[in-house]
Amino acid sequence: MYTEREINLITFCALDGISYNCIHEVCRELNKDKPDYKRIESVLIKSLSAGVYNKLKAQYNDPTFRAEVLKKLDKKGITCVTVYSENYPELLKEIDDPPLVLYCKGRVELLKTKCFAVVGSRRCPVKALADTKKISFEISQVFTVVSGIAEGADAAAVDGALKTGNVICVLAYGFNYIYPTMNAQLLKSVESKGLVITEYPPETPPKIYQFPVRNRIIAGISLGALVVSAAKKSGALITADLAVDNGREVFAFPYYRGTAAGEGCNSLIKQGAHLAENILDILKEFGLDLSLPKEEELQGDELAVYNLLCEEGDLYMPVIADKLKKQVYQILTVISKLELKGKVVRLGGNAFSAIK
Amino acid sequence: MLSKVTSFALNGLEGVAVEIETDINKGIVSYDLVGLPDAAVKESKERVRSAIKNSALYFPVNKITINLAPADLKKEGSHYDLPLAVSILKASGQIECETDGIVFLGELALDGALRAVTGILPVLISAKAKGFTKFIIPAGNANEASYIEGTEVYALKSLREAADFLTGERLFKPVQQRSFQSAKSLVNYDYDLSLVKGQKVAKRALEIAVAGGHNILLYGPPGTGKTLLARCIPTIMPDMTFEESLEVTKIHSVSGELSEEGIVLLRPFRTPHHTATTVSLCGGGNSKIRAGEISKANKGVLFLDELPEYTRHALESLRQPLEDKVITVTRAGGAVTFPADFILCASMNPCPCGNYGSANLTCTCTPAQIHKYRNKVSGPLLDRIDLQVEVDGMKYEDFSSDTVEEDSATVKRRVELARAIQRERFSDESVKVNSNMGEKQLKKYCRLSKECDEVLQQAYEALHLSARGRARIIKVARTIADLAASPEILPDHILEAASYRSYDAGSV
Repeated sequence: MYTEREINLITFCALDGISYNCIHEVCRELNKDKPDYKRIESVLIKSLSAGVYNKLKAQYNDPTFRAEVLKKLDKKGITCVTVYSENYPELLKEIDDPPLVLYCKGRVELLKTKCFAVVGSRRCPVKALADTKKISFEISQVFTVVSGIAEGADAAAVDGALKTGNVICVLAYGFNYIYPTMNAQLLKSVESKGLVITEYPPETPPKIYQFPVRNRIIAGISLGALVVSAAKKSGALITADLAVDNGREVFAFPYYRGTAAGEGCNSLIKQGAHLAENILDILKEFGLDLSLPKEEELQGDELAVYNLLCEEGDLYMPVIADKLKKQVYQILTVISKLELKGKVVRLGGNAFSAIK
Repeated sequence: MLSKVTSFALNGLEGVAVEIETDINKGIVSYDLVGLPDAAVKESKERVRSAIKNSALYFPVNKITINLAPADLKKEGSHYDLPLAVSILKASGQIECETDGIVFLGELALDGALRAVTGILPVLISAKAKGFTKFIIPAGNANEASYIEGTEVYALKSLREAADFLTGERLFKPVQQRSFQSAKSLVNYDYDLSLVKGQKVAKRALEIAVAGGHNILLYGPPGTGKTLLARCIPTIMPDMTFEESLEVTKIHSVSGELSEEGIVLLRPFRTPHHTATTVSLCGGGNSKIRAGEISKANKGVLFLDELPEYTRHALESLRQPLEDKVITVTRAGGAVTFPADFILCASMNPCPCGNYGSANLTCTCTPAQIHKYRNKVSGPLLDRIDLQVEVDGMKYEDFSSDTVEEDSATVKRRVELARAIQRERFSDESVKVNSNMGEKQLKKYCRLSKECDEVLQQAYEALHLSARGRARIIKVARTIADLAASPEILPDHILEAASYRSYDAGSV
């Protein structure tokens, strides 16, 4: 259950109409060792009109309102982890503006585990998506993977880590909303198998400016961050910058020069980020080792197709058939098997690529 | 004097005998036409008058009353001109002969010439079933009438000829019977699979689609040959039988789309534009109910290019005919059932910019945009499309020029073998091809081994398939097995079938 102090905080955050800047100024004050409550009041009075201030003050002190706020959260299955809670991630406290309350759905204990952010852009090459899914699965065996829920790279990272359930999804809006709707199903699975957190009360709709603000939580909670794809201007770069500011390790997938979806990654590497080709590159920096479970050995045609793709890069189906002197429909079944095993990814236009 | 002449009306594709009764009396000069004639029939008065006069005959200056029986059936079209004229000539005593048992059809020009009309074939077929064997029709419709056995059809050029024929002044030979087989051997499709370079995956999918009567969706970057592939579908379908040909010809005849040949010998390939309305696709109309594109594609292919561009309403209307293979168009005036047994072939780009999967261009769409674009095609419609095939995004230069592409005839032979297996399998069933199998037939003819079941389960999970998608895979696997002449469905067949559901699986 929550302490008196926590309930004060939760109630304060549930008040409607206080501007974003104002909340953060209050946060800053509250996070000091000895908060100056007079100053907080003056900040609030300055920011709000007298009428609204009095109304909110009355609400804040109203016991029924307080009870209702807690009841509503409880009904939705939302657990609150406040800065005063011992469940609050230590790393997150180190950043400039740690969120006062984390609204959580799922396995709250994941907050106390070692986290690692895997982020990327929405416009992400299909192959990078498959690689992300794979590396995210591997990372999730060592760390808890932290990401957003945007389509593209973030969703792939979450999807990959779902297998182990060690995944935290950080939203930029309240639990009453789902964005993007195409990932609603994925978000539901994270709620049941992993953890979804947000600093926004349930009633807060998604707003464009909340997303970069949310990124500070992703960066702050994690020991390091892997950027799997980022164009010149990408939200993933904001996360990377914030991670650097907080003194965390930053990793990036390398891209061939001129690849639009990877320019941001390459520039990160130029600025000193670690180049990550596989999980071992990441673990090395943390002095960790992972004995990956032995993967199933491929045989016969599957091995032939897989090796061909490994050696010659991405190939079109008819070319594969030609090189192996087989009929296209025979290759189709082999590719189907490899796809099911997660060894091959479909790039579109019947081109395929091996996942190494 | 009173005269009676027989003609026919068409209700959909069904012919109904119409008696034309003319009575000429002394009295104030008048011309009364009763029995629910539409505008074209009412206007026939002027054509009939001029035609009679210009045929060196005499239009009676009396009180003329004409009744079209049955009086409660709407009479439409211009083919009543000839029977009306003959009826007037007979009633006025200018022709003295027996006209019982003769069906008259034809439109008159002012100079008395006979013009071709639509719908001759369905009338001939229905009239023959009702016991009529002798017909007088315009010379322009001679070809169309020449394929029906057991009829005596006189194709005449003018009203004068008709009058001379009836009075016995001149003799005419009936239209000579033509053989369907010999006519068929003269025509060929303009396209052939050997014209399509590469695209082996899509070609294989077309073969499966035709062999099992499955609907197919081709998607891929623009300019990769989707339309050309679609146009090749009729070329690998088994030849139409005479009965099929007549069924198709009936619809095309009523729609007035029949070529000089007079019979449809090649499987139809219809490509309605994406601005097509629901009515133009399914059929409809106010007074006369006309067949829509899906009925004109009967026994052939309905090709919908750029599928997401069609209105949702139009696409959804296809769902029921895709299941039932017929469409019943109901209007205030009545209901008409048209056949609609076609293979649906749809094509679309993989994403809004079109370049997803293209070899030389980069796709600029976000996953959300692609998701939205693909969602324009509704799930229930997609569920009725068994094969969803991505065409190769390869550049043409990538194909070695010396490869010899398989021609349509070779593929057709394989298709015919697979169809023969299905005919045997479904000999006691109402379904004819694998795609039409219902739950009952699936259980009976598509028993899966334990191994197959496992593979299917894997695919089901990996491809995020719907329960309906699962049944589709089994049906397609059955067809693939038939093409391989395998009595059992093997895991490989399931896997190949699963690979044609890539559209459903979508991207992350």
